[in-house]
Amino acid sequence: MTVTLPVYDSDQGRTPLVTEFRNLWKHRGLVRLLVGRDLTVRYKRSVLGVWWTLLNPLLLTGVLYLVFGVAFGSGRFGNVGDPYILYLLSGVLMITFFSQGLLATGAAITNASSILSKVYVPSEVFAFSTAFAALANFVLSLIPMFIVQGIVDVTDGLDGSWFHWTLILVPIPVVAMLALITGGGMIIAAAAVFFYDVMDLMGVVVQLLYYLSPVFYDVDFVGGTDSFFGQAIQANPLFSYLEMFRAFAYRGDIPPGWQWLMVLGSGAALLTLGVWVFSKAWRALVAQL
Amino acid sequence: MNPMANTTSSDVGPLIEVMDVSVEYQMAEDRVGTIKEFAVQALKRQRTLKRFEAVKDVSFTVRRGETLALIGPNGAGKTTLMKVVARVLPPTRGRVIVRGNLAPMIALGAGFNPEVSAYDNIILFGTLLGRDPEYMRERVPIIAEWAGLTEFIQTPVRNYSSGMTARLGFAVAADVDPDVMVVDEVLSVGDQVFQKKSFERMQSLMSGGTAVLLVSHALDQVEKMADRVIWLDHGSVVMSGDPETVVNAYKASVQ
Repeated sequence: MTVTLPVYDSDQGRTPLVTEFRNLWKHRGLVRLLVGRDLTVRYKRSVLGVWWTLLNPLLLTGVLYLVFGVAFGSGRFGNVGDPYILYLLSGVLMITFFSQGLLATGAAITNASSILSKVYVPSEVFAFSTAFAALANFVLSLIPMFIVQGIVDVTDGLDGSWFHWTLILVPIPVVAMLALITGGGMIIAAAAVFFYDVMDLMGVVVQLLYYLSPVFYDVDFVGGTDSFFGQAIQANPLFSYLEMFRAFAYRGDIPPGWQWLMVLGSGAALLTLGVWVFSKAWRALVAQL
Repeated sequence: MNPMANTTSSDVGPLIEVMDVSVEYQMAEDRVGTIKEFAVQALKRQRTLKRFEAVKDVSFTVRRGETLALIGPNGAGKTTLMKVVARVLPPTRGRVIVRGNLAPMIALGAGFNPEVSAYDNIILFGTLLGRDPEYMRERVPIIAEWAGLTEFIQTPVRNYSSGMTARLGFAVAADVDPDVMVVDEVLSVGDQVFQKKSFERMQSLMSGGTAVLLVSHALDQVEKMADRVIWLDHGSVVMSGDPETVVNAYKASVQ
């Protein structure tokens, strides 16, 4: 019986992107465990448990609805054709996916440093797992959205339904978003190993991106698509992610070509860049843990 | 991918090869911790790097069935060298080759999540060590039994005592027959009964085909268990050879 022994050779370098994705596939069993742990441990000590995953976006949407939908006057902020509650909820879900996923992935390596300095596991596995956990959380939170969508469907006086065939296209912006947070998160994760204040800084950046994204307002609110602010808001790739998600989830529209380009382009570009940077930083990063 | 496969075949040469390895750390007080400090230092052009060599040009090999012990005072570079062999720290210079499945016994219990049960932790830690999750699921009862923790298997590890945690860690790490094992001061885990048990398990692994790299301050244990000993001081090899000679020379130098 010849069994080939696994060999570790410290001289063996990495092939950027190839090594990382190969490691992801090789350690898929671990990834599955880590994602499961992330989902169950998060609310382990709370009474409601996993229900928080479903409740959180609803509560946040409720607050935004009270502030911008009721207190400041209904319909002033949201897209004219959309029920404001759906506009808010879909925006909240996508932007929460982005900000929580990005920050969690960014912290993934430093959080796992006690393990990584004792047991050999390719560090990128922890970054990938955290991004996947964010995806799992997002997918769970789609349940309350579809419930709200159903309620709007029944109570809305408008003729049209809010469920369309385009629902099957929802995975497109979602997978692109996963790529975006994985790539962005890996750059942050590598930087956070060297500098403690990266995570604090990113907290502020994410907050800024939140307000620059059409979560509770739309492009007409800032002066229309051709205005200076309208252009600025649309230059933010997150604009296209949110709009594409809304178009597929309840409007039944196909978004314009430039939005496809923004979504697919930024997702692919950041994923490639992030994994590449991580690969290049890997040796110095592991030594620093 | 059977983790139990203990390949006794083939003449692949030494399982551990450490060739002219040096490890440098950046000095702690010199290390820039934040972007702000980095910017300030860059502006002041103060960014001088003071480096500290924890291991200097160390070479050794460990063959199948052989046990090599590293001894020396604190800060001699023993643990650093151990981490280099365990693959968690890349050498700054030189080269390391490790052939076969590796079981690191360093700071046992470090991989545990205190919030989840011992059951889940056994599976997670075993998977971190490169084993298949499905296989780990089958092994849980045997591992828990061996560690004497069967009745606490559903208890979150945060309620475990430090001794119980270490016992669980040892039981998971020692559950397979690895080709290579790095052992950092784990022979003093748990109570007397468990110490005896873990010691016997180690000895059976050592007399089997496992190549062992051992770090210990218990010199009489080293003399009993090791085939060869390397005495390190300030990162360099002071002396290497048969256990009795090296341990005696080291003892003489300390007194």
